[in-house]
Amino acid sequence: MNADPPQNRGLTAIDGAMALIAILLIMQIWLLSATLESYLAGHPEAALPGAMISGILFAACLGLYRFVDRIDSEIRRG
Amino acid sequence: MFGREFYVDPSRCIGCQSCLKACEECDTHRGISMINFDFVDRRESIATAAYVCWHCDEPTCAQVCPADAIKKYDDGIVGSSLKPRCIGCSNCVLACPFGIPKLVPEYEQMMKCDMCYDRTSVGKKPMCATVCPSQALTYVTPETIAATRREKPVNTFWFGNQKITTKVYMMAPADAGEIAIDVADYTWEGENELVPQAF
Amino acid sequence: MSWFRKPSSTPLWRDEFPVHTADERYVNRRQFTKFLTLTSFGMLVGNVWILAKSALHRAPNYPRMPVAAADEIAVGGVKIFGYPTPGDPCILVRTGYDSYAAYSQKCTHLSCAVYYEKERSRLECPCHLGFFSITDGSVLQGPPQRALPRVALERQGGQLIAVRMEGESA
Repeated sequence: MNADPPQNRGLTAIDGAMALIAILLIMQIWLLSATLESYLAGHPEAALPGAMISGILFAACLGLYRFVDRIDSEIRRG
Repeated sequence: MFGREFYVDPSRCIGCQSCLKACEECDTHRGISMINFDFVDRRESIATAAYVCWHCDEPTCAQVCPADAIKKYDDGIVGSSLKPRCIGCSNCVLACPFGIPKLVPEYEQMMKCDMCYDRTSVGKKPMCATVCPSQALTYVTPETIAATRREKPVNTFWFGNQKITTKVYMMAPADAGEIAIDVADYTWEGENELVPQAF
Repeated sequence: MSWFRKPSSTPLWRDEFPVHTADERYVNRRQFTKFLTLTSFGMLVGNVWILAKSALHRAPNYPRMPVAAADEIAVGGVKIFGYPTPGDPCILVRTGYDSYAAYSQKCTHLSCAVYYEKERSRLECPCHLGFFSITDGSVLQGPPQRALPRVALERQGGQLIAVRMEGESA
């Protein structure tokens, strides 16, 4: 029984990308709640850096998704 | 799997139906046999043939299933229909060139041989191959087949212009490279210029 | 969606619902990753929303509103009032003979009504056991992260007047 057929090659890379995205998402959740709390407490200074860093995290997630999409398309339709 | 393949030799079938009974014993589908058992021409002869699913490389049943209920696994086995998905439409029953899938009306579900996946995936033989007394259904290594049989295993079939390759092998006379199942291939014995008119 | 997809010999539905389980693993992972990216975008929208609100923030105009007479409540007693609007519940506490404190009654955790616990001299929220100091409304314990917004009081003769809210974003 072939434990690692050619079809399963890219799965490790995809699993790694998904783990990274999960970590980025956790960071983003914390950032959102921290920004919200500080805004409601009357300190709106954190809003701009919060939004910028959230944008960077989202851009990283998007890049990782595109990576996953590329691997998928290369292995199954390449 | 584990180096062994499934070979079907209908000429060895003695009609004992042990394969049917053994298949029925499986707890996942108790009482329903997945063997396609054929009385070839019951009026004229006692000849019988027992068939299992041929586990095609490009399974037609899976390709026509509207519910995505039939899957082919990494080791080449085509599974029976997935219970939550099968809608009992009989598309696969009509599409299979070999006529293997059966719709079971009580469950509104298609059921077919899955080569005892719970057994073969851990190295055991399928139930039918284990009990067949004449080894018309057999699950051995290719070396054993080459050493013990006069016939040659064939896994390429022609249905008209459609070529199908399967995981299960049919034992055929030594000179047969591929098997054509088109009736016309075996009945027409006239001159060549009449062949186009047959279609 | 044709511009988004690379040209392929098989139709889209055949790629997305593959027969081989090996291919299915890719489809499932890709779809889940897409969902996670969407979630990330949702949170970005949240952060941008906060940014927009803080950019459009105008200092609110608080009314002057008489709350209570100085001797209306006993020492250690409370009075509930609405400030700046009747829909914003606030709590006035007479902490000493001549000292008063007033805060918004909405707990900063999830907006349950806080009450004054005289024995422990603190404002308590029963929902998740958040405790606030009576002297400045800061969080003593519990899930709330922010101090209770304070109502600034002025004494005018025998009257207590609420003049503004302090410590909230409004």
